[in-house]
Amino acid sequence: MTANLYPWIKALHVTCAMLFVSGLICASLLLHFARTSPDGAVARALAFRRWDSRVTMPAMIGVWAFGIAMAQSVGWFTNGWLQVKLGIVLLLSAVHGMQSGRLRRASATIEPIPGMNWLPTILVSVTAIVVLAVVKP
Amino acid sequence: MSLPDNQADPAFLRQLRLMAMVEASTLVALLFVAVPLKHLADWPLGVRAIGPIHGLAFLGYIWMLFQGAGAGLFRQRRAWPLVVSAFIPFAGFMTAHRLSHQIGAASPLESNGR
Repeated sequence: MTANLYPWIKALHVTCAMLFVSGLICASLLLHFARTSPDGAVARALAFRRWDSRVTMPAMIGVWAFGIAMAQSVGWFTNGWLQVKLGIVLLLSAVHGMQSGRLRRASATIEPIPGMNWLPTILVSVTAIVVLAVVKP
Repeated sequence: MSLPDNQADPAFLRQLRLMAMVEASTLVALLFVAVPLKHLADWPLGVRAIGPIHGLAFLGYIWMLFQGAGAGLFRQRRAWPLVVSAFIPFAGFMTAHRLSHQIGAASPLESNGR
């Protein structure tokens, strides 16, 4: 039963991961441009918040739920590469929480929202996750 | 234990309190029920069931803390003790209890029982 479902769980996990990462990258770019070109930033942040809550957030939950189901079915939880990957995905989830909060602020005020640009962290993390998942060192 | 600033949104604090309770409950169930059953009674199903539930509850709690910090509802340095409390059994219940006081201070109607 679990063996039959494995490819489907993996497909859903990868789909959710792509939607989650694309949402993270878009949010960090939007927050960056809200600082550098504030005209219309509130409307853009408001529109993107809807996307964030309807697509990126459920995708993040899907990444975890399908990822845990997949790792449990294969028995990967004791493997070092998965433990490192879990830490990196937790970091990305925390970054998403932070960016979601900043979007909430950006959609409510025309004042520039302080905070660091998380794009380099996101790109490095995604590269590390792909290497860990594919190579499984 | 540091808690969010008084000006924090009461609705957000109520959600954070709920997540702290869920996270703390699942951690206690995992550490004090499921893990002993696995090692003493050779019954691993409890860990397999509660482990992922606690993982998702932990994720939800951490996500909410960072969202609150990102939204400016409390300072980032104040979020870290709340993160640490997620790793200590029963500390989440203390966090939830203190958040109740915080909610009462932020919404006087609720603290008066109305």
